[in-house]
This record gives sequence, C-alpha cells and structure tokens, in this order.
Amino acid sequence: MAELFPVSFLFFAAALVLPLLPMMVRSFLLLGVPVLSGMIVWSLPEGMLWQVSFFGFELELMRVDPLSRIFALIFSLAAFLGNLYAWHVRDTVQQVAALLYVGSAIGAVLAGDLLTLFFYWEGTAIASVFLIWARGTEGAYWTGMRYLIIQIGSGVLLMAGAVVWYHETGSLAFERMTLGSLATWLIFISFGIKCAFPLLHNWLQDSYPAATVTGTVILSAFTTKLAVYALARGFAGTEILVYIGAVMTLFPIFYAVIENDLRRVLAYSLNNQLGFMVVGVGIGTELALNGTAAHAFAHILYKALLFMSVGAVLFRTGTAKGSELGGLYKTMPLTMIFCVVGAASISAFPLFSGFVTKSMILSAAVKEHYYIVWAILLFASAGVFHHSGIKIPYFAFFAHDSGMRPKEAPTHMLLAMGITAFLCIAIGVYPAPLYALLPYDVTYHSYTTTHVITQLQLLFFSALAFTVLMRTGIYPPELKSVNLDSDWIYRKAAPRVIGVLASYVSQINSSVLTFLNNRVKNTINRLYRSYGPEGRMASTWPTGAMVLSIALLLGATLLVNFAG
Amino acid sequence: MAKRPKKDNPEKFPRLGQLFLWADNPESVNRLVYGLYMLCALLFLADFFYEKHVYLREEEFPGFYALYGFFMCALLVICAKGMRIVLKRDEDYYAPKDVESEDYPEDQLDKAENDG
Repeated sequence: MAELFPVSFLFFAAALVLPLLPMMVRSFLLLGVPVLSGMIVWSLPEGMLWQVSFFGFELELMRVDPLSRIFALIFSLAAFLGNLYAWHVRDTVQQVAALLYVGSAIGAVLAGDLLTLFFYWEGTAIASVFLIWARGTEGAYWTGMRYLIIQIGSGVLLMAGAVVWYHETGSLAFERMTLGSLATWLIFISFGIKCAFPLLHNWLQDSYPAATVTGTVILSAFTTKLAVYALARGFAGTEILVYIGAVMTLFPIFYAVIENDLRRVLAYSLNNQLGFMVVGVGIGTELALNGTAAHAFAHILYKALLFMSVGAVLFRTGTAKGSELGGLYKTMPLTMIFCVVGAASISAFPLFSGFVTKSMILSAAVKEHYYIVWAILLFASAGVFHHSGIKIPYFAFFAHDSGMRPKEAPTHMLLAMGITAFLCIAIGVYPAPLYALLPYDVTYHSYTTTHVITQLQLLFFSALAFTVLMRTGIYPPELKSVNLDSDWIYRKAAPRVIGVLASYVSQINSSVLTFLNNRVKNTINRLYRSYGPEGRMASTWPTGAMVLSIALLLGATLLVNFAG
Repeated sequence: MAKRPKKDNPEKFPRLGQLFLWADNPESVNRLVYGLYMLCALLFLADFFYEKHVYLREEEFPGFYALYGFFMCALLVICAKGMRIVLKRDEDYYAPKDVESEDYPEDQLDKAENDG
C-alpha cells in the first residue's frame, strides 16, 4: 500500500485539506501526518519505488536506501516534535507552510534524479520563507526577502547544473559525481549555499533568528540537513569538502561568543555543527559517512531542543537576548533543565547524543591522516561547548538576575522539549538502534575508557577556561549590538557602492542630455531668429518668391502624378 | 544591574525552581567553582592511571586534551573579544530592514508572570 504514492504527497494533501478543518482537528492532523510518514518510511522496501513521466523524462520520486531512509525518518520525527511544540499556533499560513516545507524536504531526500530534486529543493525554499514572514514585522519581511533570493538562487544554480549535466552525460540520475566539470561545480555550489559553506553562510544567521518562535524550530531541522544529505549523496569523498568543513566548524564559534541574540548564537553553532558533517562527507569512508548520517540525526534533535528552550523563553518574556535575560531558572526550571540537556548533547558529553556521533567523524579524520583538520575539529568541539553548552543556559537562566519572573513554558512546549530531551539521552546511553539505521555496517565503540576520559578532560577544562575568564572579568559581556558578518557586503557595502555609482551615472547622463538639449534648442532658436516670420531673412523675401515656390511645388506634384 | 521585581515571592516559584535557589548564593557558587577545580585536577591526574589508546604521538602527552581544551578556549574568547573592536555595531545598524532592533510582536507571545 505504501508504494502507491510518494511520502511527500501525504504532506501536500494534508496541506490542501488543513485550511478547511476546524482548529482542534488541525492540531491532530499536524501531529498525525509526520507519524504516518515515519511509519511508511520505516516499512518501505529498498529500491526505486515510484516513477512518473514528465516531458519525456523518467522521474524517480521514491529512492529508498539506507542513506535516504535515515534522513526521511529523522525529518518525520523532527516534524512531529516541531508541530507538537507549535500546538498553540492558530496561524493557518504557518501550519500550511510547515506541512509543505516538511513534505518538500522529505521528497527531496527521496528524489532519485536531479529534476525531482530541483522541484523539491525550490519547494523547501518557497514554503519555508512563510515561517519567517509570519512574524509580520517589517524587519522580518526584508529578512525573508533576502532569504528567499538566496534560496531560490541556490535552486537556479541546481537547475543550471542539472541541464548542463544532462547535456554532458545524457542522464539526470542523482548519483555520486566527481567535481571537475561546469555542471558538477554548479551543483556543488548550489548544495554549498544551502549547506551554509563559509561566505555562502550568512542567510542562516540572518534568517533563523527572524522567524517566529515555532518557525525557527522547524526551520532548524530541514534545509541545511537536506543539503548535507545531497552532498553525502553526490559528493562523498570530495577532498575539498574536508577543508571547507573544517573552516565551517571554526569561524562561527568566534561569532557565537560575541553574539547577543541567543537564537543567532544557536544559528552560528548550527553552522559549526554542519561543518563536522561536511568534513565527514569529504573524508568519504564508510565510517565517516556513517558519522555524518548519525551526527545529522542527533544534531537535528539537540538543535531543535535548544531552539525550543530559547524559543520558550522568547515566548514568555518577549526577548531572546543575552543582555536582557538571566535568572530565569527560578520560574522556568523545566525549560532550563531541557536546555541543559540540549547543551550537553551538542557538547558531546558522555551519555548524551553528540558523544556517540561526533566522535565517529573525528576518528575517521585521524584514521585518514587529516591531522590538522582533526585538531581543528577538536578545537571546534571545545568551542561549541563554550558557546552553546555553557553560554546559552548560563546567560538565559543564570548569570545576573534580570528581575523577570516569567511563568514556566506551556505544557505542549514542555512535552515537546521533554520528548526531545529524552531522545537525546536515549541515543547517548544506548546508541545501538541509531547505529543500526546507518548506511554502512561498521562496528564502532564510542564508550572506551580513553574516549570518555579524554572527552571529559576537554570539556571540563573548557568549562574551567570559561569560569576563570568569567571570574577575572575578561569574558566579554553580552551587549546590545550586532556584529558584522559577510552579509555586510550585500546589505551595506554593495548598496552603498551601487548608490554612489548610480548617482555618478545619473549626473553624467543628465549633463549629457542637458548639453544635447541646449544644442538643439539653440539651433532651433537661431534658425527661428533668421528664417522665422519675424526673422531678418523673411523680411527681405519678396512675395513673388513665395508664389514661385508654390508653383514649382504644384508642378512637381503634377509630374509625379503623371509619372505614377 | 539586578533589578529585582517589587514583590519577589520565592514561595510561589515552582518546586523545582526553589530547589535551585542555592545558585543565587555566592557562597555556593564558590563551592561549585572549587568543585570544578577539584574535578579538573582529578581528570588531569587520571591520565597517568590508565592505558591510553590513541592514534597520535601528541595525544599521548599527559593532559593533552585538558591543556588543549583550556588554552584553545581561552584563545577563542580573547580573539572573539578582539573581533568586537572591529565588528561591533549598534543594534539598529541594519534597521529597519532587520529584526534585531524590533520588538517581537506581542500578539504572538504569551507573556505571563509566574504568580500572575
């Protein structure tokens, strides 16, 4: 039965009927559809399960294999948790957008050819922007516009790449590619934009903090992990990805330390975590790809959990800025505990999910002799603990008392956070079921004495550094501010340069036009002065001249008539 | 800095929140910090008491992970602090085309006081 229709259609059908339903039924539909899709994906056999002909192309809408299955599963799970967290939302636009977005993301990971991938790729872009616009402010409108332009741009590059690829190879199948030709570079950059490669990254930090409380939780799971999946599918073992990934883990942690908006701190650390996955794809061994898939799975959960807890704070207090918050543990203790669980998971504490997944990528790096990259990843691991593990819970729930005494988060949010937190711990304590889902059969033991002790050393000494810097007053305080990132180039510099250029061009243009205009006017005036009715030339003309000229004109007309 | 609310009523805090109230006491925070120092010292010493299974020569250096974690994090914070000198701008730098200086729309929130 499950093979009768692609899983994504389930979400699209739900999005179609949802606006017709009363609110209570909608909430159940929003939870039921992801559960159903998860069950279907779980039960599907492997293979190409659904083809359709489209203008002479055979489109593959359901490629099920271990790699696509694990992503489709975690997407379904993330959709369930996100929709549970958004139980209170009564906004039809956000509900429909979430369904379309999730459906597109699941459709994209199950796509077997580049054309299908393109359709769903653009689908995720268009559907997700409504989660930003739903905030309804002017700032959100402009941010959404920037986001949309970049996301659509990524799709256009993918389309261009697919067309050239078809021209080169005669096939649209989405399989492993070797970087080198124009087509593969176009596709690679398209994936890179969505994956937030360095210098292509800033849409992420720009837009995620601008979305609604619940929208950010949903956004955080899909777009970037879809890109990781696409890279793992298309460019596994491409060495340049190792270095791109290493840079990705590195520079966002510096920004995260000085960023004030805690949701933007999380966006930076999301970027950093993507770096680990990209390194895994670049190494491309079975262990590394398993690490990427496992880390994506764990990451979606703990990142959603962190966004949920900060979102709950925003929902109750109206702000997510470190400079405004503090002391909330008193009245939001459960949210605080869930936040700490998410923080411990992203920091890869033993018994939490990050510990059993991230280490696979580090092991793979060292096994393949990428020592410098390994050292960078280790630094990034310490750094992520520093800003996501300590900074987020510390500035939101402890630090100085903000005086705010908000009520604990609503029940459905607590429930969503509780389930997610439980999963984060469950994966960390008992990783075997997750390992069984991975694309390759690799036996990997994360709980060795060496690994546990070295990891604890790394983390506790990072905590020590934080404590020492905090107590000596060196740690930079949270300040109301924004920090310039590379988006400054197109948000400030480019408009300014274009503005200056435009004013020069318009000045030159108008002076040339004025000059020409004056020339023409002067000539006409001069002629008028000489030959016009009042002109000197006119006054000396005898009337006979006029008669003669008319006679000549008539004569000519006559001749032409005869000749014609 | 700490603008306490007019009537702060710890009895009305959730049970769980009351359990954590010690975190407000500087004494217990000090104790926590000393605990961390102790733990770090123990972890550092632990390196001498088990057989490390590692790939690299550098990793075998006693306390490699501890020292790397500590110094790299210190470096991270100091560099980041330095970056602020160049990169920090006012909150309304990109306004009005940015959400940073906007208030979050009230109608999408459910602001509620704990004992309200």
